[in-house]
Amino acid sequence: MGWASFRQHTRNESLQLVSFLSPYLLGTLLLVVFPALATVFLAFTSYDAFRPPSWVGLGNFQQLLSSPLVRLSLYNTLVFLGMAVPLRLVGALLLALLLRHPRPLFGLFRMVVCLPTVIPEAAYALLWLWILNPVSGPLNLVLRALGLPAPVWLANPESARLAIVLMAFFQLGEGFVLLLVGLQSVPRTLYEAAMVDGAGAWQCFWKITLPLLTPWLLLLTFRDMIVSLQNTFTPSFMLAYGGPDYATTFAPLLVYELAFDLGDFGLASAMLVLTYLLLGLLIFGITNIVVGLRGSSDAV
Amino acid sequence: MRSRIFPSLSYLLALIVAALFALPLYWAGVASLRRPDLPPAPALEWWLASPHWENLLQIFRLLPMGLYLRNSLLVVALAVPLTWLTAALAGFGLARLPERVRRPLLTASVAVMMIPGMALWVFRYRLLLWLGLADSLWALIVPAVAAGSPLFVLLFYWTYRRIPSDLYDAARVDGAGPWRLWWKVALPLARPTSFGVLILAFLMYWNDFSGPVVYVRRPEWYTLPVGLQLLKQAEATNWPLLMAAAMVMIVPIVPLFLLLQRVFLHNLLHEVES
Repeated sequence: MGWASFRQHTRNESLQLVSFLSPYLLGTLLLVVFPALATVFLAFTSYDAFRPPSWVGLGNFQQLLSSPLVRLSLYNTLVFLGMAVPLRLVGALLLALLLRHPRPLFGLFRMVVCLPTVIPEAAYALLWLWILNPVSGPLNLVLRALGLPAPVWLANPESARLAIVLMAFFQLGEGFVLLLVGLQSVPRTLYEAAMVDGAGAWQCFWKITLPLLTPWLLLLTFRDMIVSLQNTFTPSFMLAYGGPDYATTFAPLLVYELAFDLGDFGLASAMLVLTYLLLGLLIFGITNIVVGLRGSSDAV
Repeated sequence: MRSRIFPSLSYLLALIVAALFALPLYWAGVASLRRPDLPPAPALEWWLASPHWENLLQIFRLLPMGLYLRNSLLVVALAVPLTWLTAALAGFGLARLPERVRRPLLTASVAVMMIPGMALWVFRYRLLLWLGLADSLWALIVPAVAAGSPLFVLLFYWTYRRIPSDLYDAARVDGAGPWRLWWKVALPLARPTSFGVLILAFLMYWNDFSGPVVYVRRPEWYTLPVGLQLLKQAEATNWPLLMAAAMVMIVPIVPLFLLLQRVFLHNLLHEVES
């Protein structure tokens, strides 16, 4: 076989390899990339699905920002992210540190920690509806048995928001698994060297584990902001449908109502863009802070 | 001294954590077997003298849960194998293509993974309407053509990349083209990943709530998660029935999840370690 025919062979092969990828690439373009970009375009139009979209510039955004309900839902979203994301992150890290070593039964414990994450969302929401029931729910039965105050969880705006955060907290399986993998990739020799130098467990954590995990934690923070926000949809839809007093109306529920109850696809798209602009700003801010912190600690 | 206290302390903590994560589920299981006509329990129940299995049948009588179950099973039966096939093929394409083609595709895949489903609701629904796929099970199955999630493609990609290239080269010298390489060399060696992707894809389609709520508006094509929502509206405080319905959705995923840990997560954690 000559060189030319081998080249021919590989070109043919590359074409076949591209055909391997084609369903995935075409499907993703059509079902994910195109709708995402089209939504950004629709945000600047008035579109009710009956007439073709007409350009309104920033009109949708002005209309949204002048509505108290939209502002409240953005506030709810920020409060949720501000509580849920750090809690989930710290929880996942502590649990990963606790369960990182291969010991008897620890495999089972790791699975149990992941269980709330793999349970179907709708079933999980029903479960919590029961857990949070003020009279017969297990949470208040336990609280009362301990002599603690037992709130009427879903009837009060503050406690309802807290309940959704609590629900989200227990679904930290993804971060937990990711951090277990991250911890596994920390070279053991680093710890051994530190132990020889007389470092305790506490110092090992601050000087070795945490710095090496920072990229993982940062990545997880961003992913968690996107994922946990999206995941508020089912609880706020099923538990109290945005109530009481719109306290659990987070951005996803409002997008759903604007698009599918009111049929205003332009406004719904603008709400989506607004939400992700807000997330983008948050991510940008956090990155800058973390990079700044690392820079200053390096300087010391 | 310290080395002895430390493990026992972490066992104690781990036990508390496990109880916190698992007990509510257990109590819900017990609650699902209470008689619906009795007043709610005044204290936590650990055991029922006479479990009322009737509840499980009752939810199928109250609502067409059988229909919703059939729809859920249809979606899973079509979407899961299709997802596996698309992901297994695309992962191989990525792993074997030259660097300069592969890099941008990998970056794009990771970027697409960051796009949340909610960002697609508005336009994907219009798109599915135009394609004649909205308001039917196809709306829930068609994402499988795009491999469900780029994550599945990347999982296959990572697995194929770890296969020594000698194996591929040997087969190529024997005149094997990409299809034979994939089917005879790569796929058999990627069996744990195949298992993992099949199970993760099952969980994804089986658990999906916002998909059917947003894209399917015909009661005859509702899936189980929507059935749970309807039951909640119909029997708002009938906890035994609501918990029984939740258990119908939860119980099938438990053995699958056990399997996932066995063949997949276990490997993932140990490979990184070695």
